[in-house]
Amino acid sequence: MEIVYYIILIPMVYVAFAVFFVGTGVRLVKLFREPRNPTTLQIFPDKRPRWMWALHDTFLLPTVRRHNPIFWVFLMLFHISFLLLIIGHLELIGDFRIFQIVQHEVFLGNGFVGLILSISLLFFLFRRFASPNRDLSVPEDYYLLILLFLTVFFGSQMDWARRWYDYGNLSVVEYREYLSSLLYLKPHLSPDLTSSGHSFMLVLHVFFANLFLMFFPFSQIMHSFLSLPMNKLRRG
Amino acid sequence: MDQKTRDELLKLFQGKLNEAMKFYLETCTRCGVCTEACHVYASMGQIKYIAAYRHEIVRRIYKKYFKGRGKIWPSVGEARELSEMALEELYEAAYSCTGCRRCMVYCPFGIDTQMIMSIAKLLLIGAHTEPEILTLLADTSVEKGKSLELFKEGFLTGIKNLEKEVVKKWKIEAGETAIPVDVDGADLLYVALAGAHSIVPAAAIFNAAGENWTLSFFEAVNFGAFVGDPTKTKLILDRIVKEAKRLKVKEVCICECGTAFRVMKQLSGKQPFEVSSITEVHSRYLREGRIKVDKSKFKEPITYHDPCQIARNGGVIDEPRYILNRLSDDFREMSPEPKYNWCCGGGGGLVALGEDNLDFRMKSAKVKADQVQETGAKILTTACENCHTQLSDLNSHYEMGVEVKFLSSMVADALMQ
Ligand code: HEM
Ligand code: SF4
Ligand code: SF4
Repeated sequence: MEIVYYIILIPMVYVAFAVFFVGTGVRLVKLFREPRNPTTLQIFPDKRPRWMWALHDTFLLPTVRRHNPIFWVFLMLFHISFLLLIIGHLELIGDFRIFQIVQHEVFLGNGFVGLILSISLLFFLFRRFASPNRDLSVPEDYYLLILLFLTVFFGSQMDWARRWYDYGNLSVVEYREYLSSLLYLKPHLSPDLTSSGHSFMLVLHVFFANLFLMFFPFSQIMHSFLSLPMNKLRRG
Repeated sequence: MDQKTRDELLKLFQGKLNEAMKFYLETCTRCGVCTEACHVYASMGQIKYIAAYRHEIVRRIYKKYFKGRGKIWPSVGEARELSEMALEELYEAAYSCTGCRRCMVYCPFGIDTQMIMSIAKLLLIGAHTEPEILTLLADTSVEKGKSLELFKEGFLTGIKNLEKEVVKKWKIEAGETAIPVDVDGADLLYVALAGAHSIVPAAAIFNAAGENWTLSFFEAVNFGAFVGDPTKTKLILDRIVKEAKRLKVKEVCICECGTAFRVMKQLSGKQPFEVSSITEVHSRYLREGRIKVDKSKFKEPITYHDPCQIARNGGVIDEPRYILNRLSDDFREMSPEPKYNWCCGGGGGLVALGEDNLDFRMKSAKVKADQVQETGAKILTTACENCHTQLSDLNSHYEMGVEVKFLSSMVADALMQ
């Protein structure tokens, strides 16, 4: 068992991040080097400044709000929580002064970030079970959502365990030691990390996250990077 | 399908993959926000008419041949082989889509269905399974561009016969020509469609405004664009660009034809002349007081159908409203926002396919008929030949009891000396 823990928590993490960064980078560079479309793809009426409206469309999703308000609420909650989640993870590596502008305990969000993410992911998943979304969806869409749900759910368990049901054996100290050792390329697993009763949650969390990161560059989640340039095309 | 054919088709596909197209093919999350956007789906309720479903037909082939994933793990994206059956699906998807881009307004990323369907249309041409009539019409236009001398004589006689009609609408001074043709150094080149309805009212208005204009030898309509053939589209367009440069005009004015206007405006590149639609020119004449119209001419309520390629996709939105408010005190909007206007259901070459798909055109545009009737207007006006034909067909099919009119002919009828 120990060897499995080791593989998931150390080599696989490196591989996953390598695939994620190289894959995303290479694919984006390739995409942006394709020739431009010869004509405008704008939708009228024209509104200026165009780049401001493109940002507006990208980050506030006004068309979704108009045509599917419930979906919009979950999408906004999801994406905002996702941003907080990234910040939360950075703070598991070390202290960042700017993030403490709003004073909080690591992991930020009092456990609610994970809860919101889990619920929105279930919503995204279940809405695909009903027609017509079911007829539009392909396996990729389900796999991504299931993968993310599992990642978020096991991640949240660790957070909730500490906060909500007083489980103190694994704490931020252990996570920081582990993650910074990875970052400084001197990977090290402390026995506390791998032999506590909740270690399996950490291992599963990291395992699913690795899979997600490796699938990211080749999936529709590339919309995170492409949404802005595409919205700019529509705004002219 | 044999390997050679498939390779050739994939080469055509490859040629379409520029930056924007790849964005569109990579990004759809199949979120379904575009579901309600398509008039065909809204009218007929079949899943295959949802915009994202149409894309996916093209996208599956993309995933198979142009993404590494298609070789390693094709099933994750339902990647699909390019086969005879795939061609049939492509036909169904592309020739039930009018390219109106209403769905692009809904999509959180702004995916352009018309553009994705242009791949489908090109593959169909490559496999010789496109609607023949469209290619035939495109070829005729191209030929005409090559051998102008052959048909010049007949054209000039035809035009001479129309001059009497023009003078009936607007008297001109002795010695002036009612329909000037081939005028070197004219300010404006007017590109019309074949048919008196596209030439006579326009000519009367140009004469009334005292415009230094000339009529093009060619018709504006671009069948190359309808059938999705980029080479022919460009050839048909270039005939007019060449003529405009030869005559050294300052402005090329496109008649009431949505596709012709958009192609000319957006595809002709940087040229020594401006491109405008006839609606823009008419509203300019009114604004500048070069023509006057009689408001008492049309007493019944009027509504206006924004042609997709002219309004949402071409940007001519305020001008028709300016004209209509000069023509009537009872102008009624169809849609609270013009970019949300329903397509008439006749674009993308569907009207040109004629009787064959009349049934589909009528069923797929039910929402359009309802939208017109809700305004309670008695006159339905528009500024596109295709829309006019389709709306007239809808008018008789759904017994809407409106009168379908071209905006330009309403202006001509209301001219005051
Ligand atoms: C500017 C950035 C982004 C924009 C504009 C954007 C937009 C959207 C939109 C419109 C959807 C709805 C589609 C759907 O239900 O599938 C969506 C879903 C989603 N987005 Fe984003 N997103 C952005 C960034 C991200 C990032 C950084 C992630 C990170 C992983 C992400 C992950 C997701 C996921 C998991 C879904 C749900 C997918 C699903 O329902 O299948 N997004 N996003
Ligand atoms: S709205 Fe856009 S992203 Fe969503 S399914 Fe339709 S085309 Fe795809
Ligand atoms: S472009 Fe128009 S006809 Fe085609 S799918 Fe979109 S809404 Fe429907």
